[in-house]
Amino acid sequence: MVSVSLRNVCLDYPLYGAYDFSLKRRLLGHLIREPGEMRIIRAVDDVTIEAEAGARIGLAGPNGSGKSTLLRLIAGVYPPSRGSVALKGSVVPLLGLNAGVNLDFVAEDNIALLLRISGHKPGRTVIDEIWAFTELEERMRRLPLRMFSSGMLMRVLFATATAFPADILLLDEWLSVVDEHFAEKAQERLLNMVSQAAIVIIASHDQPLLRRTCTSIINLDHGRIASTVTVEPPATHANELREKRA
Amino acid sequence: MHHTQETSPETLEAPRRPSVLHIFKIYYPDLFGGTLTVIRDICASLKDAFASAVLVCSQSAERREIVVNDVPVERVRSFGNIMSLPAAPTYPWRLWRKIAAHDLLALHAPFPLADLVFAFGFGARQPLVVHWHADIVTHAGLRWFIQPLMRRTLRRAKAIIVSDHVLIDKTPLLREFADKCHVVPFGIDTSGYDWPTIEPHHVNDRGRLVLACGRLVPYKGYDVLIRAAAGHNFEVWIIGEGVERPRLEQLIRELGLGDRVRLLGSVNDCERIKLMCLSDVFVMPSVTNAETFGLAQLEAMAAGRPVVNTALDTAVPRVARHGVEAITVPPGDAEKLGEAIDTLIRDPERRRRMGLAARTRALSRYSATAFKQGMETVYRDAVAASNAERPATAEPPRATGWLDTVRIAAALAWSDMRHRYVRSLLGPFWMSLQMAIVVLVLGSVIGQMSNTGMLARLPMLALSMTAWTFLNGVVLDATTALQNSASLIRDRALPPVIFLLQCTFRQALFALHNACVPLLLWLAFSPHDLSHGLAALPGLLLFVACTFALSLVLGAMATRYRDLKPIIESTLMLAFLASPIIWSSDIINHRSTVMRINPLTHLFAVWREPLAGGHVDPASIVYVLVVLTLLVLASVLTLVHLRKAAFWI
Repeated sequence: MVSVSLRNVCLDYPLYGAYDFSLKRRLLGHLIREPGEMRIIRAVDDVTIEAEAGARIGLAGPNGSGKSTLLRLIAGVYPPSRGSVALKGSVVPLLGLNAGVNLDFVAEDNIALLLRISGHKPGRTVIDEIWAFTELEERMRRLPLRMFSSGMLMRVLFATATAFPADILLLDEWLSVVDEHFAEKAQERLLNMVSQAAIVIIASHDQPLLRRTCTSIINLDHGRIASTVTVEPPATHANELREKRA
Repeated sequence: MHHTQETSPETLEAPRRPSVLHIFKIYYPDLFGGTLTVIRDICASLKDAFASAVLVCSQSAERREIVVNDVPVERVRSFGNIMSLPAAPTYPWRLWRKIAAHDLLALHAPFPLADLVFAFGFGARQPLVVHWHADIVTHAGLRWFIQPLMRRTLRRAKAIIVSDHVLIDKTPLLREFADKCHVVPFGIDTSGYDWPTIEPHHVNDRGRLVLACGRLVPYKGYDVLIRAAAGHNFEVWIIGEGVERPRLEQLIRELGLGDRVRLLGSVNDCERIKLMCLSDVFVMPSVTNAETFGLAQLEAMAAGRPVVNTALDTAVPRVARHGVEAITVPPGDAEKLGEAIDTLIRDPERRRRMGLAARTRALSRYSATAFKQGMETVYRDAVAASNAERPATAEPPRATGWLDTVRIAAALAWSDMRHRYVRSLLGPFWMSLQMAIVVLVLGSVIGQMSNTGMLARLPMLALSMTAWTFLNGVVLDATTALQNSASLIRDRALPPVIFLLQCTFRQALFALHNACVPLLLWLAFSPHDLSHGLAALPGLLLFVACTFALSLVLGAMATRYRDLKPIIESTLMLAFLASPIIWSSDIINHRSTVMRINPLTHLFAVWREPLAGGHVDPASIVYVLVVLTLLVLASVLTLVHLRKAAFWI
């Protein structure tokens, strides 16, 4: 059973200024009794989220409201300062836009490396499937990624990241870069992943996108949950999708 | 017989009592003391609800498994004490083996040897209760090292038991976990103290017998008590045994108190109670906060004796309160202590009044029943809470396993290497060529300096250079590895340790390329003896292990403190010049101090000497093993802190 459970989670983010990275200063600060208190910002404040399989949660809020930090916290990048984070299932975090790609490598090698990083064997057929999904030209497979436009790069990364079913998928501003055609296709794939008993958590400014993809939307403000909105039952949503396909 | 009748119906109802493993450093019969009394009392009073077992260390070579008061005790062999800690190398192993068989772990802190086991995450499935007996006071210098371990232990503990609330307020480490702390004051079974002579009107004939009881260790402050006796006319009997005995005996002789001050040595329970009832004043002269409660003064109170104790930041002056059951004096002040004792000696009425108050307090506030109930509640809650959580923890851990970490690091390193092939025509053999040129130039220069056959030396020179390039490369790469992989750490949530491991793997692959230079030279210039190569293998492994541990520690530190990188760079340069890498040790005086202190000398010696067909100096092996141990400990600490690496990049 896949689930995400955050209970009263807080994260105090230490703000390292230009000088806080210096050991010299820290040691000398002790000697001359400089009040070397660490500045801290509470990036996530008392957040409680319980999600079961099939949940698609949207995180909305202005810049700096803690959306990305919350996703990183769920992914285990940051240890929570207080509260507990309990996940059941495998997590695929897709947070930064070009997470882990080496722009000097050719597209194919990048795909293989990304697959290895996420613990899969990069077989010939798997890469072929991924490439087919991107709908990019065959010859581009042998080109270094730095020749790709940002939209094309997104296609490659999305196709790679979603090639294998994940239990818990964390997305940060992912669907807003690609063109409309691919966005639709991506959405379909995401919905498909959700239907395979998965949890998706998406952070975005794009309210219409969140309303189309999610079952509930959490509005964040200064790291707190400002409000939780439940989106209309997914039935209408499925209809809408079918219409589009027709 | 009595007990079997009482417990059998219960054992029938409940098929199995949950078992508790008490973890401490020492137990009966090796020592008598307050903490041991507490453990024994817990085992005895909870025996209907919990099956107890004890795992401790012992210096005696006798039987490992013994039974003390119906409780099975396993004693792990210890080879003496280092800084109040038993040197029992196998203790963590035995503890790990025993953990799984018990439903509850009761750690009697402080005991860093056990913290080590919990810090590694072993026994995470069993609920842990920490009995906080004392803070580290005697060897406070070790605190920086032990505190993180203790914090980890406390963090995973279900409950922390202290004897008085003041300990939570005065101990910074406990304040962090104040919500887990439970105050359970020690209890005392006063029935044994109903000695017929306890009649309130009974006053010792001489009216001047002062009693103290506890191990003869520095923090008990018996030297203060003896000095206090010098200026007055009372008699002092001290019950207990310990390392301080020779010093105290000498002090008694110097002050000429042989007829009035007696060290009674170890005394059995019955005899001790008799002595307590016999005495006129009980003194607890402890001088540091290592004395957290003072169980002995509670016993004296049960015996109806007035107490003189010291104003420590612990429960000591709160168990027997100043002016009610006791006179409290500043710790370490012999004059005030002497005056306080003398005041009581001279005032039999006040003694009687305070003795009665003390007895009443022991009966009401520190009853054995309350202690038993408090303990049982905490233990039961801990077991129940863990049972409730167990379904959640039964799932495989979500953190990437060690095998995955290694696999990903290897994949990344392999891709780094392939990248080099792609970029240049010669591929990594460009590096080998470079190495060959360096070796040839250096070789000819050194050949000028010394007159021995240079050609025979060339293979070893090339190999040393390869090894140095490996170490240098790993450490330098590690200082920037985390920053360079910031995106993978923050966006793909990969554990940071992967990228430090990647440095070692990558440089190892490069070193394999470079190794073709020494290999060719060896084939050309040396007698081919493969057995030497095999003999060098363990040393080489040590070398690689040290390199990796060093890169782990320095890599994390250089990421957190950016000004370390230039320091590390220049230190490596210096180390290169000061180590026998390009020059061999026989060129200069082998016994020079710098050479002997320099760990690199030994790190190279452990594999180079056997390779050359010689024997390694045992001192080198010991040196390297000590360095490796320190590095491994530092690595463990680093791994703990590496959780926060995402904040640093």
